[in-house]
Amino acid sequence: MSQPKLNRRDFLRMGMTAAGAAALAACTTAAPPGAQVPPTAAPADAPTAASADAPTAAPADAPTAVPAAAAPTTSAPPQTEAGTISYWAFWTQYSDAVKVFKPLLEEKLAPHKIDIKTGVDADQVFLTAVAAGTPPDIGTGHHYIDYMSKGQAIEVADFVATSSLLKKENFSEAAWNGQFYHGKQYGVSAIEAFVRRGLNYNTTLITEAGLDPENPPVTWTDMLTWHKKLTKFDTAGNLKQIGYDPTDAEGGLFATSDGTFLSDSWGFEWFDNKSKKFNIDNPLMIEGLETLAEFVKIIGPDNLAGMRSVQGQGTWGGSYNTGIQAMILEGYWHPGETFHDKPEVSKVNRASWMPVSEARKGKKVQQGGGHMVFLYKGAKNPPQMAWPVAEFLNTKEHCDPVFTSVGWLPDFKPYVETVDASPYPGLDFYIKSVKEANEWHYPLWCEIETFVNTKYNEYFEKVYRGQMTSKDAAAALQKDAEKEWKEAGFAT
Amino acid sequence: MAVAITKAPRMSRARRHELFYGLLFASPWLVGFVLWTIFPVLSSLYYSFTRYDLLQPPVFIGLTNYTNLLTDDDFFLVIQNTLWWVILSSPIGVASAFLMAVLLNTKIFARSAFRAIFFFPSIVPVIVVSSVWAFVLNIQYGAINATLRALELQTIPFLSSPEYAKPTLLLIHTWMQGGAMVIFLATLQDVPRELYDAATIDGAGSWNRFWSITIPMCSPVILFNMVMAFIGGFQNFALPWLLTQGGPNRSTEFFSIYLYRNAFQYLRMGKASALAWIMFMVIITFTVILFRSSARWVYYRSE
Repeated sequence: MSQPKLNRRDFLRMGMTAAGAAALAACTTAAPPGAQVPPTAAPADAPTAASADAPTAAPADAPTAVPAAAAPTTSAPPQTEAGTISYWAFWTQYSDAVKVFKPLLEEKLAPHKIDIKTGVDADQVFLTAVAAGTPPDIGTGHHYIDYMSKGQAIEVADFVATSSLLKKENFSEAAWNGQFYHGKQYGVSAIEAFVRRGLNYNTTLITEAGLDPENPPVTWTDMLTWHKKLTKFDTAGNLKQIGYDPTDAEGGLFATSDGTFLSDSWGFEWFDNKSKKFNIDNPLMIEGLETLAEFVKIIGPDNLAGMRSVQGQGTWGGSYNTGIQAMILEGYWHPGETFHDKPEVSKVNRASWMPVSEARKGKKVQQGGGHMVFLYKGAKNPPQMAWPVAEFLNTKEHCDPVFTSVGWLPDFKPYVETVDASPYPGLDFYIKSVKEANEWHYPLWCEIETFVNTKYNEYFEKVYRGQMTSKDAAAALQKDAEKEWKEAGFAT
Repeated sequence: MAVAITKAPRMSRARRHELFYGLLFASPWLVGFVLWTIFPVLSSLYYSFTRYDLLQPPVFIGLTNYTNLLTDDDFFLVIQNTLWWVILSSPIGVASAFLMAVLLNTKIFARSAFRAIFFFPSIVPVIVVSSVWAFVLNIQYGAINATLRALELQTIPFLSSPEYAKPTLLLIHTWMQGGAMVIFLATLQDVPRELYDAATIDGAGSWNRFWSITIPMCSPVILFNMVMAFIGGFQNFALPWLLTQGGPNRSTEFFSIYLYRNAFQYLRMGKASALAWIMFMVIITFTVILFRSSARWVYYRSE
């Protein structure tokens, strides 16, 4: 009798080995980052650092005349084999617009399909996917500085160079510069990327408090006066209404892609992207912390924490929309989002300049930057396949449904100039502010911005709870930032 | 000196056959255990000696992550918060579960309904529990504070004051002891009736019966629940994260929250891995101490 070539034991052994190998292979990361894209040279006119020259004068360049609905042209070679491009965005509100523009986008991408996911959690899902080597082809999921500085975003200068839409003159200087990290262009400003600074206020609450909505506060001293009149308690001393919450929305951010309202307002940069030095422990920061802490002391720290923990009010801008907060520092999106969330509050919303310190009275400060999309290294498809999506995001076909359903604007000038701001009370201020602002800021792109942002809020809480002086808090934040910078491996 | 080497008896064919099928049928679990437990655990040990930001390859830095923690004020703050939590929540949680079980083991009116009511919180997802308690305790609109407000009384900042936040979480934690309670209940029902009968004949009162029979007979399960409570206490994350996110003023920032921040917010996976291993060693130490002490207070029927 002849021996079988493969006996049962060998078969099972091989089967187990193959299964184990397959499972192990599934656990390892996909292709190494950067495997698909050759490095490209930085555009000659790109800034060497995102923060270079900031603050700057308002951009005066007129955009090149590009029809808002023009079909973008790119150097992307046509793909003969049909595939599915994945596009992820972290916002949940974006989904209504997706339903409208997806068929139009798919038409342009033919023969490819597009798989769009909205509400993708920026940390647990998006970041994990990028880290695991399974990112989307294109997407927006916060962590911009991490993806740029840690080699996960694909440089797009070559794509941009061939685009008829994505030209420097079509964006504000602030948004354009925000796309760069160390002189290389990684991002494409899109979807929700218009200006970030403005004081929104509820004219009904303002009038009820005997204040004049036609003359909003322009300095923090004025702001504090309004805050005192607008913050109300019941007879038992319980909080009923607050004037301004300095921990909410843009006011609560210290270090993010939206910049830093405190340093914009008091007139300093807390981080120098060229020298990589922190400038947090300075008199302006101390003054800013001290001033903002006064607002919380009037509200009561426990009252504020309680109010912010209420479902709906602890969320970004929620207390303004419920009519509990009379004033809020927000970007251009606030009028539109409030309109869709609370039309009755939207009707009485008005916007003006963000207050500045007394010494800087007269400064009209604006901030650009906002959100952008990246093409991710290690994605399933080659970047040229997903690139048309980046261009599409700044066309009328995309921007119209987004503006209509959520009130968001790109920074793309040819589109913004066509917008009718009238449905969203307050938006007009932001559109005009682009020409009227006399000081501009854009993201500093500090590599440890999330850490600094978290620590800022921790120390700010210690200041308004009276456990630390603002001087000590600024010094401690500076020390912590420098320590983290070193421990995170950025110190050379 | 001559050493006698005894050769292991060769396995019979039937025995080998049996072993093979045993391993084959256990292999789904074995493969899963190696891939999803052993591999990540050993990986995290390696990462704890590296600087690893998730997005770039890890860089070996030796013990730096561990030594840096010695000068990290935040680390000592979260240790302090966590020890407060573990030392109070574990015994209080176990004691309350045990007392609830004792109560529900007596012949009281609607006993089954009460058992279901007490057990219910342990099967409700933590997210739901958090939402309910946030609604009940919130200083602005919470049911309790709304009542106080309506009566023109001062509200209580249950979750918004650094002084009240930890005790409030402890209160909620105690309310969620249904799982341990059920285990105690099963144990109590297993205590031989004749022990109580004999003690009663000997003139023991209810307190003496409880102290000298119930507690010793349940002591192995008390030990089990204490160990689980200690481990759970060190890993406490969901409830404080959902209700307070570590605040106010970092009063509820426990070890796991700090670990999470480092891993997924600051992208310091190496440091987070070092924290995880420190937590592991602390849990092991506490568990060993608890087991060592058990010789003095745990009674096993077989002894």
